[in-house]
Amino acid sequence: MSRFPARQLGWGVAVLILFLFPYFLPEIRIHLMIEVLIFALFAIGFNLVFGYGGQLPFGHAALFGVGGYTVALILNHYPGTPLLLVLLIAALLGFMTAIIIGFFCVRLTGAYFALTSLAFQMFLFAVALKWRSLTNGDDGMGVIRPELHLPVLGSISLRSTTNIYYFILILVAIGILACYLFLKTPLGNSVVSVREKDMRASFLGYNVFLVRLTVFSVSGMLVGLAGGLFVFYEEFVATTSIDMNMSMLPVLMTVIGGSGHFLGPVLGAAFYMILQDWMSSVTSYWMVLMGAIFIVIVLFAEGGLISLFKNERVRLWVSRLRSR
Amino acid sequence: MGYSIDIYLIQAVHGLVYGMLLFLVASGLTLVFGMMGVLNLAHASFYMLGAYFAYTVTLYSGSFWLSLLICPLIVGSLGILIERFLIRRAYKGGHLSQLLLTFGLFFMIGELVRIIWGSSPLSVAAPKILAGDIPFAEMTYPIYRLFIFGFSFLVLLGMALLLMRTRIGIIIRAAVSDSSMVEALGNNVPIVFMGVFGGGSALSALAGVIAAPFLSIHLGMGAEVLLDCFVVIVVGGFGSLLGALIASLMIGELQSFGILWIPRLALIFQFLLMTVVLITRPTGLLGEKE
Repeated sequence: MSRFPARQLGWGVAVLILFLFPYFLPEIRIHLMIEVLIFALFAIGFNLVFGYGGQLPFGHAALFGVGGYTVALILNHYPGTPLLLVLLIAALLGFMTAIIIGFFCVRLTGAYFALTSLAFQMFLFAVALKWRSLTNGDDGMGVIRPELHLPVLGSISLRSTTNIYYFILILVAIGILACYLFLKTPLGNSVVSVREKDMRASFLGYNVFLVRLTVFSVSGMLVGLAGGLFVFYEEFVATTSIDMNMSMLPVLMTVIGGSGHFLGPVLGAAFYMILQDWMSSVTSYWMVLMGAIFIVIVLFAEGGLISLFKNERVRLWVSRLRSR
Repeated sequence: MGYSIDIYLIQAVHGLVYGMLLFLVASGLTLVFGMMGVLNLAHASFYMLGAYFAYTVTLYSGSFWLSLLICPLIVGSLGILIERFLIRRAYKGGHLSQLLLTFGLFFMIGELVRIIWGSSPLSVAAPKILAGDIPFAEMTYPIYRLFIFGFSFLVLLGMALLLMRTRIGIIIRAAVSDSSMVEALGNNVPIVFMGVFGGGSALSALAGVIAAPFLSIHLGMGAEVLLDCFVVIVVGGFGSLLGALIASLMIGELQSFGILWIPRLALIFQFLLMTVVLITRPTGLLGEKE
């Protein structure tokens, strides 16, 4: 119990720092932070199925892309739609797509699950690529970022970097908080028990299929929101939002960050995006480095980067450093 | 449809050729999965490496036949090293960590290839004897494609003989159905698996070499063949060689006729097939129950 206030304080400081970023970081770093936030949400949603559900979805770009294309299509065809409603629809469509995909996938385990989810992603990728009249294929579509209309505050322009940073920070925070709260519910707990031993969970009266489907669709909702935010922020959507590389990103981020901790994917996303930003200007070999880090973590440090914080030796080292 | 029967014949042969090529890659993948339960995503990287090595060897030696001999050996040894020093460590970690490891390898090899050979597509010329066309059903047909078919057929025959008629083949087949029992009977399963892994990598590279003059060599070729292979082993059934053969030919024909009839949806057909098979028969056409 004695650690409790310290933890609260830590959270407070973290939130404060996130809110103060625009005051001391240059604009280009804020853009990087926005991308970190969006991919953190993507990875958190992914980890709901991967870390908590114990199944490896290889095709989560399908849900990301559905969210992204939803935002782009609505904003292009019905420009007057309120922004928050558009993003809500993106999240809901992500949710519903995940129900459909999950219906076929979640009965399967291991490699079968991974491959089937990948097959659905490739299917949607092919649709996005070939249905040119709707999606404009691999040339993609531009999107104009609308203003945000709020009931009390009036309309807020999202053209300035600071405003869009706050907007995305708040939405991502809501998404992550919702995910956290979902995991605290009895349903969220049953996800872990199904992961650990599905037969035992079913004897205890859980409907394994339904639990897995629920966690997959909640994941789809978060990922759909992330995809929507991504397209809305980039003001562009193309098949790169729904292709295999996009499916690989959350896998890399989550494993590097650590799938065993709720915030591991966030750390992984930050690490990945910042390393990409820093290294890609210096050398084109950074992806190899990323692959090497990934392999080392899979082989030797399954907890990922976040387990460094839990490691006794590291903790001792940090406390010694602090007392100096 | 205004096509003459010849078009159908040509498309059917195209499908056979691609199907056989696919089988060379998928057979190693399905054997490794059957034996050790490792779905080796890096398998497609071996195919890609085979093609890129073929480009370099042909460039410096001028002989395609030499690369056909050397590249599978290099990649096979590479596969053995990867199995011995990386994948073997991940057996303890369970299926997810194996899948992640081979995913990391796939990712990294792809990036290394991009650094070494660059991102523009490369091509390898077919050897003189195999260049050109022969008359075929009132039209002409490229000799090289027929060579691919013939060569893959020979490899298939050799593999069937090895698996069905030799002692090592018996051990491999037994290990596919129950590797711990085979080990308990006194066979050195880790060595056998290393050999199968190396052999599978070599076959995959061989497919890469013979595909090089026929398809262009580019960075996406690994991912493309990987997806097709997934469909093949899911449709055929994990660990079943005959299933892989049937599924490869099915995919080959499906793509070939899909492009002829409904080119817009050609990409989708195989995934539709895979989904239908998974829903109606989750273990694949010839797969056994888990």
